[in-house]
Amino acid sequence: MNIHEYQAKKLLKDFKINIPKGLISYTPLEAQKSALKISPAGPWVLKAQIQAGARAKGHFLGHKNKISGVEIINRFEDIRPMAEKMLGGMLWTPQTSQKGKLVSKIYVESFEKNQKTFYLSFVINRILSCITLLAANVTDNIVDLAQKSPNAVLRLNLDLHGRIKSKDIKHLANFLKLPEKSRPHLKTFVQNLSKAFVSLDATLLEINPVGLNDDMKFTALDAKISFDNNALFRHQDIALLQDDYETNENTLKALKCGFKYREFDEGNIGLIVNGDGLAFAVQDYLKQTGYKVACALNIKGGVDEQKISESLKIMMTSPKVEGIIINILGGFLRCNLVADGIISALSDIGLNMPLVVRFEGTNKESATEILQNHHFNVLMAQSLQDAVSKLTEAMKEDD
Amino acid sequence: MSILVDKNTRVLVHGITGLQASFHTKRMQAIGTNIVAGVSTHSAGTMHLGVPIFASAQEAVLKTRANASLLFVPAQNVKAAVKEALEAGIKLIVSIAYGVPIFDVMEIQKMLIAHDAVLIGPNTPGIITPGEACLGVFPENIHRKGSVGIVSRSSTLTYEAVLETNRAGLGQSTVLGIGDDMIAGCHLDRVIDLFHHDEKTKAIVLIGALGGTYEEEAATFYQKIQNKKPLIAYVTGFENDQEDIGYASDILTHGKTTIEDKKSLFKKAGAIVIESIDDLGDILKQIK
Repeated sequence: MNIHEYQAKKLLKDFKINIPKGLISYTPLEAQKSALKISPAGPWVLKAQIQAGARAKGHFLGHKNKISGVEIINRFEDIRPMAEKMLGGMLWTPQTSQKGKLVSKIYVESFEKNQKTFYLSFVINRILSCITLLAANVTDNIVDLAQKSPNAVLRLNLDLHGRIKSKDIKHLANFLKLPEKSRPHLKTFVQNLSKAFVSLDATLLEINPVGLNDDMKFTALDAKISFDNNALFRHQDIALLQDDYETNENTLKALKCGFKYREFDEGNIGLIVNGDGLAFAVQDYLKQTGYKVACALNIKGGVDEQKISESLKIMMTSPKVEGIIINILGGFLRCNLVADGIISALSDIGLNMPLVVRFEGTNKESATEILQNHHFNVLMAQSLQDAVSKLTEAMKEDD
Repeated sequence: MSILVDKNTRVLVHGITGLQASFHTKRMQAIGTNIVAGVSTHSAGTMHLGVPIFASAQEAVLKTRANASLLFVPAQNVKAAVKEALEAGIKLIVSIAYGVPIFDVMEIQKMLIAHDAVLIGPNTPGIITPGEACLGVFPENIHRKGSVGIVSRSSTLTYEAVLETNRAGLGQSTVLGIGDDMIAGCHLDRVIDLFHHDEKTKAIVLIGALGGTYEEEAATFYQKIQNKKPLIAYVTGFENDQEDIGYASDILTHGKTTIEDKKSLFKKAGAIVIESIDDLGDILKQIK
């Protein structure tokens, strides 16, 4: 689960991490009032709150003058017009889809002068099974940097409690070329971040950039936190921060059934599977025929006919989808249950596009019988390859 | 021979009296798995499905000499169950649960190293040596005794791979899923090493996925092996999965890794890389 910058900063404040003064605002008038409360003279920063990175490198769609997701404002009278342009606008960034994301709130912050900025993050190291601290002297294009000059990124492995040794702090300070006087502050700053990472069951804590001011104080100028969904039961308060507006409508509908739904920018084929692997395998076949997957729904763990029917409808009513493959490998999930779900959905909304079904495993025979006993033109396939070729043929005929 | 489990494995099932656990225990017994005991605090002292139930793993091991644990406990309790099994002296643990917190898995890893033990999972279908032992939730009647070792990160694709080895007339020595959680108890390279040293295994099938660098580790390891057994690798995933929070992990792994990157590493290491899972049967027939 991800949260917004303003929420992340509020959490960090509880761990005694220095953050700029800021207020969340939902209307242009509110933004103006927030600015006045934060700092009467400015300058200010208006930051679009969407859950995607590289906001400063993005821009709002449909504006002649380029407005990015992070704008520095020097004059008080410019706050309201800028907020008007941002709120309700679609912000594209290198990390969003082409359509961008709707901005419904902005964070108004005081602009802080810093003598130096750098990159700092904590991640789960999947191979070493530990926490790794990453740091770099630049704040732009870190992924490219990590690839082209691996030595430009410092990697420090910490134990499970996130404890940082004095020699690591020294190493970090030298690597970042930080002034001697700032080092005691660095230790506290990094230790508090590490403590937050561990206490919150985070999978990522990224501060990009960290600012160092003339008083040798470190500030988290931005903040991104991702949480381990599986550990949210230990953090009820954080689970409440989930922003439903950030989630695709179909994804939410699927989630209500307990299923995972994904949507892609291109493609016109919908996949329903019980295990991601099956979807990947179909995708690899489709690639060879030139077709692409528009969306995929994983009903792993589903054992409720009604929910299976509901989730089928999500896919059948998606405007992008022109053909559907249902690929079920019955083990825990019995195929006949899926067949019942299919019939229930088709009885409700009919079948207006080619639908290919492949069953394998538990109760395959009775499931096939259920589908064949109804008059819907459901195509049955015997293998992955068979499913893909039957669907693509049917789609060509439809054209 | 086989890897990790065979007819001599004495299995202890944690949470054996639960509905799902009972269902799968019956299936495991049906293929000949030697299930010797169960752990359940509520039903200690009774018999269930023909095996004695104990209050703790410690007692079960003492009385029945169980040497492998299969955990049918909820995700939140996995850490405690692993600890209990390890302290009872068990060296092989399988955890089916989906949704174990990452910090719990990291702590488990530390315990495993201290006890020199292996965990398969979490979030895995388990491990099966056809005709001898099954610790997990594999579909019934699809496995055949044979010579192909299968290791996978995807449970459903494991089944596809099994069907393909049957089609090639080879069957399986051992099949295991390492699980598809962020951190797996047992890494791919370790399983390749085990299959490499197993006489019965003539060829290895590896099914990899996006995210993390388990495949990179496995390819590097395979490249260094002398007198290699054939390794057939299939790597797949949704390349543009927007939910992937891999941005900072990409920095950790020196840049974004694609499916093609992983495939080319396997090719370089001397493995046969297939483009779709249905090709597996034909490839296996050729190297037969």
